[in-house]
Amino acid sequence: MQDQDQVPDEAPPFLGTWPRIYVAILIYLCFIIVAFYLFTRAYR
Amino acid sequence: MRPIDWIVLVASLVSIIAYGLYRSRGSNTVDRYLLAGRTMPWYAMALSIMATQASAITFISTTGQSYTDGMRFVQAYFGLPIAMIVICATVVPVFHRAKVYTAYEYLEQRFDGKTRTLASIIFLCQRGLSAGLTIYAPAIVLSIILGWPERLTTAIMGLTVVTYTVIGGIKAVTWSDVQQMGVIFLGLIAALVTCMVMLPNSVSVPDALYLAGAAGRLNAVTTNFSWNDRFNIWSGLIGSTFLFLSYFGCDQSQVQRYLTGRSISESRLSLLFNAVAKIPMQFFILFIGAMVFVFYLFVQPPVLFQHAELDRISTLSEFRPVEAEYNQAYERRRQAATALAAAHHAGDQSDEARQVAEYRAAQKDIDAVRARASKLVESTGGEQGFSDVNYIFLSFVTRYLPAGLVGLVIAVIFAATMSASSGEINSLATVTVVDLYKRYYRRDATDHHYLVASRWATLFWGAYAVAFAGWGKKLGSLIVAVNVVGSLFYGSLLGCFVLAFAFPRVRGTGAFWGMIAGEVVVFTVFFYGAVSYLWLTVIGCVVVIATALIVNTSRA
Repeated sequence: MQDQDQVPDEAPPFLGTWPRIYVAILIYLCFIIVAFYLFTRAYR
Repeated sequence: MRPIDWIVLVASLVSIIAYGLYRSRGSNTVDRYLLAGRTMPWYAMALSIMATQASAITFISTTGQSYTDGMRFVQAYFGLPIAMIVICATVVPVFHRAKVYTAYEYLEQRFDGKTRTLASIIFLCQRGLSAGLTIYAPAIVLSIILGWPERLTTAIMGLTVVTYTVIGGIKAVTWSDVQQMGVIFLGLIAALVTCMVMLPNSVSVPDALYLAGAAGRLNAVTTNFSWNDRFNIWSGLIGSTFLFLSYFGCDQSQVQRYLTGRSISESRLSLLFNAVAKIPMQFFILFIGAMVFVFYLFVQPPVLFQHAELDRISTLSEFRPVEAEYNQAYERRRQAATALAAAHHAGDQSDEARQVAEYRAAQKDIDAVRARASKLVESTGGEQGFSDVNYIFLSFVTRYLPAGLVGLVIAVIFAATMSASSGEINSLATVTVVDLYKRYYRRDATDHHYLVASRWATLFWGAYAVAFAGWGKKLGSLIVAVNVVGSLFYGSLLGCFVLAFAFPRVRGTGAFWGMIAGEVVVFTVFFYGAVSYLWLTVIGCVVVIATALIVNTSRA
């Protein structure tokens, strides 16, 4: 288990923390779904 | 294939392999050979993950899927970002800190040796069976489209993959994948642009979108729920999350890609890149299929896109009325499409509604005639469950794309096959050497010994994949066969890793018997045909967890 502590958990290159990145990706997923839904409706 | 196509094809393949081998210099230790010395940058891992997941059949099938069924297949990827977030937050840091070569090595740290070995064997069974199909599926399509012998196509793909994977290890695999994704993107963009350019002058891009949408080919999101409907937003968000969790969290062919990262951060970025890029990429591929559909509104497509079967049934007297009916149905649809576009431009809503109804009725006629032709194939000695979906895109490419671009798209198919196959072979060799050979036979050999063993294992699995490819012919529908093979084993692996991460009190014996019970139940359900294979992963996972908890409680 000593080895496990030697690998640091670095901060992401943007947005400061990983949880913020995850939230950003979830927002992106929502955006994609809404955009595809509107695309479907526009050409239905 | 014209000379320029051959030049483009050969140049693409040679440059991909040469670049991969060039970047793999110095892979002279086991750590460098199997994990690239854990030095890979995030973008190389990201493209390698994308390339390994996207086999050739993905590109061939996906475009055909949207041609016949619209774009709703894209919803099957809605669970990917969710799965990637879960894996980045839980699995990636644990695997990195445990400094493991394989995902199953971690199971020995968490549980015990027998659980690790069982998981490794399950992986070898599942991925070993898939490896042959990965090579065989595009080989048979290319053979029929281009008229090449199946064995020759399989041998070319297999030998190429085995050569650079044996010599260069994972570095060659990863850097070749980067090149292969470049060729794939280039080929797909060229195919879409060509398709749009070849539309009649009277049909603008908005017209093309309108006509595709009116025929239900731009249905990217469908919200109606049905257990029998594979692709809707609900199965996409729930079902595919489980599928991608098992694929990216428990399958060594994917885990090994992000274990090569120089840090936890780089590995996470590589997965999150896929979380962001994969859905638009699938959307783009499906969109190409929809535009091929619009192209064939104004250029008569063949009754069936599988030319070998079409040529065979064309000689039969039963085919003549089918062909005559098809010609009429096509002409009716072409006129309806032209009239619909004109009504849309004129802005007359009542006329537009009438033309939409006529256009959809004409499309139904075409579908019905094509279904009759497929039945004729089956009833006259052809493949049962015959479908020409996998041939639509390549048929379009070889008939209508200009010289040079045909070679590029064929190179895309080769590149996608090689990237998926090399990842599989490399991961099979890694599990064989690390989890079985080193664990049970030679615990204290030199690094050079394991390096040589890894090369031999890679050669063995490459030869196995090529040999097994011939067996794929007996499995019927290839894409279904690939999915069934995965479904038989993924549930147990996913259940075991869920136990490892989410149930800290469960010990090795519980996990071991859980996996055994999971496989027994999954195979029983599969052979008795009680449910669709799509549910096997969920069933396996639940049985593993339930059994492990019962065993753990009884032992406590």
